[in-house]
Amino acid sequence: MRLPRFEYIEPINFEGALDLLYIHKDNAKVLAGGTDLLVRMKKGLLKPKIIISLKALKELSYIKKDDSYIKIGARTSIADIIASDLIKKEACALFEACEKIGAVTIQHYRGTIGGNILQDNRCIHYNQSAFHRSGRQPCHKDGGKICYARDASDRCNSTCQSDGATALMALGANITLVRKGTERIIDLDNFYTTDGIMPFAMESNELLKEIVIPIQGGKSSYKRLAYRSAIDYPIVSAGVFLKSSDTSKNEIEDARIVVGAIARAPIFLAKASSFLKGKKFNDISAFKKAADISMDNASTFAVHNVGSTLEYRCAMVSEMVFQALKEAAIVTQE
Amino acid sequence: MSDYAIIGKRMPRVDSRAKVMGKAKFTADLKLPGMLVGKIKRSPYAHARILNIDTSKAEALPGVKSVVTGKDTEGVKWGVFAYTRDQEFIQTQKVRYIGDEVAGVAAVDEETALKALDLIEVTYEELPAVFDSMEAMASETELIHGDFPNNINVHVNIDTGNVDENFKKAHYIREDTFVAPEESYFQAEPYAIVARFDHEDCLEIWCPNGGPHMKSKPLSNAFKIPLHKVKVRKIAIGGAFGGRSEICPVDYICALLAKKTKKPVRIQFTREENTIATRQGHAMITTHKTGVDKDGRVLARETTCYMDGGAYSSTGPIATSVPFLSMEQAYRMGSVRYNGYRIYTNKPIRGMIRTHGRGFAAGLDTQLDMIAEHIGIDPVEIRLRNSRQPGEYTSTKSYVDSCAMDETIHKAVEKSRFKEKWGKLPPLHGIGIGTNSVQTGFPMGIRGGSQSFIKFNEDGEATVMSGVVDNGQGNDNMLVQIAAEELGLLPEDIHLVSADTETTSSDPGSYSQVSTFVGGHAVKIAAQNCRAKLFKVASKVLKVSPDKLVAQNRLIFVRDDPEKSIPIKKVVRISLLNFNSVNAEGGYWPKVDMKREWVKNPYGQMCEAFSFGTTIVEVKVDPNTGQVEVLEATAAQDVGYALNPLVLEGQFEGSIAMGGQGGMLTEYHEWNGGRCINPTMLDYKLPLACDMPPKINNIIVESVDPKGPYGAKEAGMSIAMSAAQAYSAAVSNAIGVYMDSFPLTPDKILAAIKSKES
Ligand SMILES: Cc1cc2nc3c(=O)[nH]c(=O)nc-3n(C[C@H](O)[C@H](O)[C@H](O)COP(=O)(O)OP(=O)(O)OC[C@H]3O[C@@H](n4cnc5c(N)ncnc54)[C@H](O)[C@@H]3O)c2cc1C
Ligand code: SF4
Repeated sequence: MRLPRFEYIEPINFEGALDLLYIHKDNAKVLAGGTDLLVRMKKGLLKPKIIISLKALKELSYIKKDDSYIKIGARTSIADIIASDLIKKEACALFEACEKIGAVTIQHYRGTIGGNILQDNRCIHYNQSAFHRSGRQPCHKDGGKICYARDASDRCNSTCQSDGATALMALGANITLVRKGTERIIDLDNFYTTDGIMPFAMESNELLKEIVIPIQGGKSSYKRLAYRSAIDYPIVSAGVFLKSSDTSKNEIEDARIVVGAIARAPIFLAKASSFLKGKKFNDISAFKKAADISMDNASTFAVHNVGSTLEYRCAMVSEMVFQALKEAAIVTQE
Repeated sequence: MSDYAIIGKRMPRVDSRAKVMGKAKFTADLKLPGMLVGKIKRSPYAHARILNIDTSKAEALPGVKSVVTGKDTEGVKWGVFAYTRDQEFIQTQKVRYIGDEVAGVAAVDEETALKALDLIEVTYEELPAVFDSMEAMASETELIHGDFPNNINVHVNIDTGNVDENFKKAHYIREDTFVAPEESYFQAEPYAIVARFDHEDCLEIWCPNGGPHMKSKPLSNAFKIPLHKVKVRKIAIGGAFGGRSEICPVDYICALLAKKTKKPVRIQFTREENTIATRQGHAMITTHKTGVDKDGRVLARETTCYMDGGAYSSTGPIATSVPFLSMEQAYRMGSVRYNGYRIYTNKPIRGMIRTHGRGFAAGLDTQLDMIAEHIGIDPVEIRLRNSRQPGEYTSTKSYVDSCAMDETIHKAVEKSRFKEKWGKLPPLHGIGIGTNSVQTGFPMGIRGGSQSFIKFNEDGEATVMSGVVDNGQGNDNMLVQIAAEELGLLPEDIHLVSADTETTSSDPGSYSQVSTFVGGHAVKIAAQNCRAKLFKVASKVLKVSPDKLVAQNRLIFVRDDPEKSIPIKKVVRISLLNFNSVNAEGGYWPKVDMKREWVKNPYGQMCEAFSFGTTIVEVKVDPNTGQVEVLEATAAQDVGYALNPLVLEGQFEGSIAMGGQGGMLTEYHEWNGGRCINPTMLDYKLPLACDMPPKINNIIVESVDPKGPYGAKEAGMSIAMSAAQAYSAAVSNAIGVYMDSFPLTPDKILAAIKSKES
């Protein structure tokens, strides 16, 4: 498959990139590793006139500790994150998620964490060649008015399959978005829209600069399911964060449960999370209950559009959450 | 051990180095001067009448050199058999699946060619489409092909007689139905073709193929040019698995574009085109009814199979038969009635595939396990009581000469410690066995035999000409090994000219497991004839009779007095100086029953030898996710004789990947109407190296077939098929539920565990 024609620009600094985005706006697309963008372009899903490459912006590639925060530059490669002891220790869920992204070739060669969060939602009816999508009505995400994944749906139900986003949301991360002249910080929780067509609240002239993870002294874990052991997007995933109380080590003070690859965005499950507060770390039945609540709450969003069967994926929400909670609890106890 | 010098030795393949280093040239790597890029316009509808095709805008686009439609084909139709010619090379009346060819374009570059495709305006009238074989048979809407009532394309009926009587005598009878959706070959190399007409109007073609002579003849017919004018050239090939054994419309279209433009044209398929517009494996619904005596010996069997054949016939009659034939070769059946129906649907075309009927075979074996359980014997025992024995005839009257089926069972059982594990494994662990058999060839009429020609060069090296093609399995190496062994040379002294229809004689092609048995055999005979000529000359020099001579390691020497020797190179030179030719030819034609025909007369000698294989697999199932972890796989095959154990082990392991790990756990196509929604490698779950079992035991069993070259038969395919059976048996054993819907994806396994619990 061929890439459509485009103009390629490689700004030499961050300001230059912002200027270009300011000028070209919707006509331009940012290229980090390209492992999501170029695949979509080859399928004819988007045809940007201008590609603004972050290739020269080495300053966007870093992992550092700053007080009680981990700061990660948007252009940091997935491989660098996997190799970071800091991440492994303080943000294990992110480490586990990154390990599962694509395959080593995607991790070390091109894929970045910024691109991972900002990759487009996916759907087996949409991520197809132009030929596949011809001879039938276009779906919502393709500029039409129907949805092949859910009958009579008035909107797009494409699925966010980003491993990184689910883990980062569980870790309570926020991101820094910059446009010429201004900068804003937004929690990942609030970053997502409920629109499968444009899944996140981001302007076309904005650049993702940094991801910030608070170090809260808790433990996190990430579990996901796919058919293969590599080169396979998750069909369901869960990221969790557990923190013990200062007074009693065996008591959960704070919990965050996020499930991914099941809906238009990673879903923070408030009810399941708060259910765990005050529970004991060795209370397996509480984990089971939280996992079931997660499944009940998350399933309503799921549609059959990323492989396997819907029933199976929904059932596995509970299993992934349960496994992740168990693992986070075990490392907390160690 | 043998006293062969080269045969039977572990030798790295002659082609591996170039492939591993990325130096081998595949069709997509070819660049010829002035070459144009060809593209195919395909139907976006599953079933539609073509009302009009307007190519004027495309033709007017600068850079477009030719646009062809059905009008340019003179109505020629393709079909493997005279009675299955149902496919126009470019459709003129209607399209029958999403991907059907409606036009072809040649342009100066890919971008222009793709633009031109968009500019071709086709007006269609959509027709009701059917996507399921059962629906297609019952459908009252327009038939997919007018002359095939109920959309039944092929009906194979085999009946040995006495079936109903024997069911009456049976101690226990079961009837079970098994289903499996379609699967794909996923050859590593997507299909590609380069065609050009030279200054003498000869058509030259490069493309992956399962037999160059199988391409040249139909193309000569289609273009109405003499056979010698179609020159299919040799090129590195990245896999076939049965899916590239016939010509396909793109071959014709590419050649037509080359003819019209008088330039070389290359068409290179996308991965999606390779999946939807070449061939796929049939989806099948199979019902086996089996009656056994009180010891579990099969007295009668009735099998009915409905195969979703897709839009056209392809190799339909063969593909409708082989799943059954494999099983009738593997097992004695007392009496049997088989009805195989291949049904047209508006889906991509189905052909022969290496794992012929995974659901068919796994179903038959599952049912055997059920019967064994009922009568209180284990799966090994019931197989031994029904396994094929040497010296028997199959149900369709093929004599089975060499057969070490039982030995493959015994050795696999011993190595895997099946008996110690059966019934004693921890919960959710399972072990399962599958056995299968495949043929080495089938009656192919005029192209059933292979001929080889060998010439010695003055430097004492030899050039071997053979029509055998290597599409990834190691055939080139096989030919080199055989020639080197017989000529007394080293492998590096042998130069192959193969798979080229201009320079090689006809050959059945490298599908149906016939390459070694027939093609290798021809090379062996040619080399022996050539050696005899050298011996005649050498015997004069060494002053002993030719029958006392041996050729080895570039020398001809006296068997009982090895010091007395002469270099082969010298013998060649002496021969030439004395007006003796140092060339020879040889051919091999298997003695098969030429009256045997797939539909009209499915009885008689099918081929000269059959291979037999047993696979045993041990698994662990995760009860929470339904995911399967394969702990160990053991593959034992009666290959006749192992020409190169290294290559065999590669074939065995590839077979476990294709038939078991992929074929039984993850691989299947999903559809939205007639649209295949997982045509790419990302979405179609082929196993990766890291998904493979941590331990694979390869056991080579040698029955030394009296007719095969050195006793060799076939390698790999009876493992690919028995692996599917073993995987399904092991999973069923682990969860305590006999599975009847394949592949065994985690959702199905989990559902089975849940339904058992409740
Ligand atoms: C075979 C294969 C398997 C894969 N498997 C997985 C998987 O298992 N899990 C998973 O999560 N992902 C997977 N991916 C998707 C992708 O490879 C990864 O998500 C990767 O991390 C994306 O990073 P990138 O730098 O290549 O993104 P790009 O393709 O460069 O960018 C993705 C999107 O983000 C935008 N963007 C990138 N950086 C910025 C920035 N700094 N500011 C503004 N916009 C930006 C781009 O414009 C684009 O829209 C897979 C991809 C392939 C090809
Ligand atoms: S969910 Fe529906 S609208 Fe969205 S991409 Fe898939 S088919 Fe299109």
